[in-house]
Amino acid sequence: MNEIEIHLAVNGIPRTIQSEPGCTLLEVLRDKLGLTGTKEGCGAGDCGACVVVMDGQAVNACLVLAAQAEGTQIITVEGLAQDGNLHPLQSYFAEKWALQCGFCTPGMLMSCYALLLNNPNPNPEEIRDAISGNLCRCGSYQSVVEAVLATVKFSQEARGG
Amino acid sequence: MIHADYVAPASLQELLAILHQHGGQAKIIAGGTDLIPQMRLGKLAPKLLIDPRHLPLLGIAEKEECIHLGANVTHTQVLASMLLKKEYSALVAACQQIGGPPVRNRGTLAGNLANASPAADSALPLLVYDAQIVTSRLGGERVIPLNEFYLGPGQTQLAEDEFIREIRVPKMPSITKTVFLKLGNRKAMAIAVASVALRLSLNELGQVIEARIALGSVAPTPVRAYLAEAIIQSNPLTEEIIKNAAQAAQHAASPISDLRASSGYRSKMVAVLTRRALEMVCQEFASGNSYE
Amino acid sequence: MVDYSVIGRRADAVRSREIVTGQALYCPDIRLPQMLVGKLLYSRLPCARITRLDVSEARKLPGVVTVLTSRDIPGENSYCYALPADQPLLVPDMVRYQGDALAAVAAESEEAAQAALDTIQVEYEPLEGVYDVLEAMQPGAHQVWSDRGNIVDHLVIDHGDIDLGFKQADLIIEHIYLTPLVEHAFMETEGAVAYRDADGTMVVYSSCQAPHRDRAQIARSLGLPENQVRVITPHIGGAFGGKDEAHVQIHAALLAQASGRPVKIIRSREESILTHVKRHPVIIRYRSGITRDGILTAVHAEAIGDTGPYLNAGRDVMNFVAATLSGPYFVPHARLESYTVFTNNPICGAMRGYGIPQASFACEAQMDLLARSINMDPLEIRLRNGLETGMLVPTGVTIREGRGMKVCLQEAAHLSGWKEHDKEDRKPAPHLRRGWGMASIWFSIGMGRNIPDHATATLEMTLDGSVILHTGAADMGQGAHTALAQMAAEAIGVKIEAVKVIGPDTDRTFDAGPSVASRQTFISGNAVLRAAQPIREALLQTASEITGLPLEILQLKQGLVLAEDELLSLTVSELAVKAMEQNRRLHADGYYAMEYPEPLPPNSYRYAPSVFTFGTQVAQVLVDIETGQVTLEKLVAVQDAGKVINPAGARGQVEGGVIMGLGYALMEELLVYRGSTQNLNLGSYLIPTAKDVPGLVVKLMEIPEPYAPYGAKGLGEPPLTPTAPAILNAVVDAIGIPLYRIPLTPERILAAIEAHHAENPPNGD
Repeated sequence: MNEIEIHLAVNGIPRTIQSEPGCTLLEVLRDKLGLTGTKEGCGAGDCGACVVVMDGQAVNACLVLAAQAEGTQIITVEGLAQDGNLHPLQSYFAEKWALQCGFCTPGMLMSCYALLLNNPNPNPEEIRDAISGNLCRCGSYQSVVEAVLATVKFSQEARGG
Repeated sequence: MIHADYVAPASLQELLAILHQHGGQAKIIAGGTDLIPQMRLGKLAPKLLIDPRHLPLLGIAEKEECIHLGANVTHTQVLASMLLKKEYSALVAACQQIGGPPVRNRGTLAGNLANASPAADSALPLLVYDAQIVTSRLGGERVIPLNEFYLGPGQTQLAEDEFIREIRVPKMPSITKTVFLKLGNRKAMAIAVASVALRLSLNELGQVIEARIALGSVAPTPVRAYLAEAIIQSNPLTEEIIKNAAQAAQHAASPISDLRASSGYRSKMVAVLTRRALEMVCQEFASGNSYE
Repeated sequence: MVDYSVIGRRADAVRSREIVTGQALYCPDIRLPQMLVGKLLYSRLPCARITRLDVSEARKLPGVVTVLTSRDIPGENSYCYALPADQPLLVPDMVRYQGDALAAVAAESEEAAQAALDTIQVEYEPLEGVYDVLEAMQPGAHQVWSDRGNIVDHLVIDHGDIDLGFKQADLIIEHIYLTPLVEHAFMETEGAVAYRDADGTMVVYSSCQAPHRDRAQIARSLGLPENQVRVITPHIGGAFGGKDEAHVQIHAALLAQASGRPVKIIRSREESILTHVKRHPVIIRYRSGITRDGILTAVHAEAIGDTGPYLNAGRDVMNFVAATLSGPYFVPHARLESYTVFTNNPICGAMRGYGIPQASFACEAQMDLLARSINMDPLEIRLRNGLETGMLVPTGVTIREGRGMKVCLQEAAHLSGWKEHDKEDRKPAPHLRRGWGMASIWFSIGMGRNIPDHATATLEMTLDGSVILHTGAADMGQGAHTALAQMAAEAIGVKIEAVKVIGPDTDRTFDAGPSVASRQTFISGNAVLRAAQPIREALLQTASEITGLPLEILQLKQGLVLAEDELLSLTVSELAVKAMEQNRRLHADGYYAMEYPEPLPPNSYRYAPSVFTFGTQVAQVLVDIETGQVTLEKLVAVQDAGKVINPAGARGQVEGGVIMGLGYALMEELLVYRGSTQNLNLGSYLIPTAKDVPGLVVKLMEIPEPYAPYGAKGLGEPPLTPTAPAILNAVVDAIGIPLYRIPLTPERILAAIEAHHAENPPNGD
């Protein structure tokens, strides 16, 4: 199988990747770019551990062929913090203990990030819907909801109410 | 990693040519949410994946006689469409219950239909809306009514070199109400155990002029319950008629037992869901509320 | 009331920053130069003899570096959780369950490794096998082992006079309860990375709960002295008991040893569900006698557990079932029995709760049926029988601290508005029924008597007053490291931010025992306190000398020094420097073994645990009686914590336990047909999503436990235990029909409703 060349932006940085056509975006991120923050939980789109944001939407990276990410903007968990400063979502996830073992956390963060991109003031029901594709066996769902609500409140106050 | 070549043609002609050239060795990959898991397990092994993402397909377009849903329309786009929410609410309700947001953001309506799972949620509302599938191949186009599209589990009328270009949904009579009901084994990310879509369209006198009932996960393919529809269309909607229609719908189903449920349970649920759907729609017509 | 400055207060989880930035390394994330991909060949057949196993062609494939079979293992070819060590690492001849491994491969790439597996030639002679646990107990059943019968263990705990007890009863009821085979479904599958260090040490990164036990097992199988093996736990993505026994780490080490290169083995989700240990499915026959006033006189309960073909934790788990089967109640006469039975079904072992969820399910479902049979409020029957301090339980133990039972029960009843339920709408629609149910549990902390149950922790203070805590206790997400760090900070007198935790590394941390049995808070916690004490004393001595003030009035808090609650202008850092100048030692290790100062009466259960925690949960459900679907509307969980070390962490353990219990009650079941699991992925084995869980009300009660550090006992497992019976009892309350089996799938509920109507035709329902 011949390798193909893919061009995409990952966390704001343009990247050119040589990859086998059947490689998934998850494999490219983890194995070729060394961005191991995004996890594999099942490889089949059932668990959400591999969720990244592609062109502003949450997607399962294990279900996107790398070639299908050609020309797209990808944001992974490594791209949330800016200049060493945590994104409010990250700070509130830590503060509210919205994580226990942390394996689902990158995917969970990206689903929440995608939610806030499209809906800056979600209610708890909408947050639960946004994370309905992220399984957490440790059971942090309620704390995740609280972390997102705290992030929203913080963002509103930062913008002056 | 799955093993296949990949191509993303720039035009429909190019796509059709490649599809024709490779015959059964190629498959269309859109969202990949069904295809990639199956390839990973070795259930499907196409040598070439053809991605229609660069095709200039229309998204959701409203024309005089019907709505056109392009091959690239995702479930999330259905949910975001004010037009569909207003006119085809059962389709929106069904798409809302497919997978979770990451799957909905990638999965397409066309892909969901082509995958031909008997449990496909979006097929049911499309069936009750009398949707048609418009396909293209090198020789030309054809239009296949959705209720003739399925041949068996995972099998459709599509030839190996045929591509679903769009789904056409006719405009509905002005007094129309629809319902989509699904039973799953948990409250999200659940494949349907049994599902029902119902449409009733009335004339100004309040008589049923069109009744459509589609059943999911209870037969080798999504199916219409024609006898139940006939009962509804030719009788006033009394409790007795509703009960008869529900039973007739039950007979239209031929469910199997699998990991999710037994055939006996599914069969009973067809009757329950059909009855409930009819009751809900009747109540809406009576109260004048729109179903949400 | 002591005012603590660190414990009981907010603190971020240790290493949470790494997790939220994606920097945290789990086994799959570890990359080393020259690393090979390791994979195992699993039989997938549940019972067969291997007639041919030829790896010669596989060895020749390009990119394939090493292929091992049972013949290539230098040391012991077995896992060694329990004796006899009966589970082979690589099966030489007989396959006894679908997850038996036959060969191990290390190759340059995923593809090459898979090609090697596909090229290995195996021929099997399929054998009959036995897949039904009751059948397996009969003479004439297929024997899983030729040298042992299928009934591996039969424990009988006898207490009082069971016949007398039943004679004293006004009412006797007996029912059979069933629990399913359950999957841990940790989000990170089993994995390990092994490589030989420059000095010859075999280093193994292991996603595991028992690093020191792993070290022993790896050494044993590689034929190395233990000090030539080093086990390190990176971040662990959940375990819940499923990573207590070794999984792929020994194989990874064998491949690294044979190939001379680093090897990483990560199981796919399908492989994980296929192979690793599960929660025992248990059948319990429960016979209870009560007086007409609702007082228990006798319990005779027998539990049968299908443990699969290997011993693993089977006997231990089933013994815990027996030991806790009488519930948090005073039962004067009891016979509690457990059978551990071999079959060719998936192997069962440790899973969060270790048998107590199964026992509690039967006990609590039965308590409600007992209450109903005498028209008594389920709350009242529990109050009348609930354990109290000083009471004797069937294992021979006297309850040290029993207030938690009734405190949690009454608090849960109060918070859930138990007495006001009658005012609520039980029939919000013709097809809907609302119901309420409660369950009370007791849960033992620690491994039990006469079983090694100890931990060591090391603390070191540096010259600037910062602290390093070395602990061999694995943190799988349950928050052990944070709790221990908080205890260290409190005990020495520094801020939590001043404490760095070095997690399990068998070259650098002493054995703290496995992270199981909800024991680390208690046992490692006490070890931390014992390590902290000499350091604190040295600092205080120094402070006394510097200030001239007597020791008794000096305190250390948050890195500062106080005299009679007044701040002095002296910091712990300054004390540290001075102490070192005086040759005072500012590091120590602490060792603690679970203590059992009270003797057990003769003929007691030898391994009886003596530390208990209690909890009660109340569930409110809505049942659709036409579809059988159940919605959990509300759940109140009150848990006895002893002392809450970290409020957010404690709450997380309770919520997480409840959610796992919700799955156990409503949707989780591995479907196995003749030894072959049918639902091998997370799309067909369902665990709760965010939309399945309503808002939970959680309250932690603090009744200090004797001998426990700050009175704190464990929370990892207990909160899981009441949930399923509380939900079942609520469903029974909603539909008015007894139920005996989980999960309560819609189909089962509908079948129960229909069966009931067939026997009792409704008259104008």
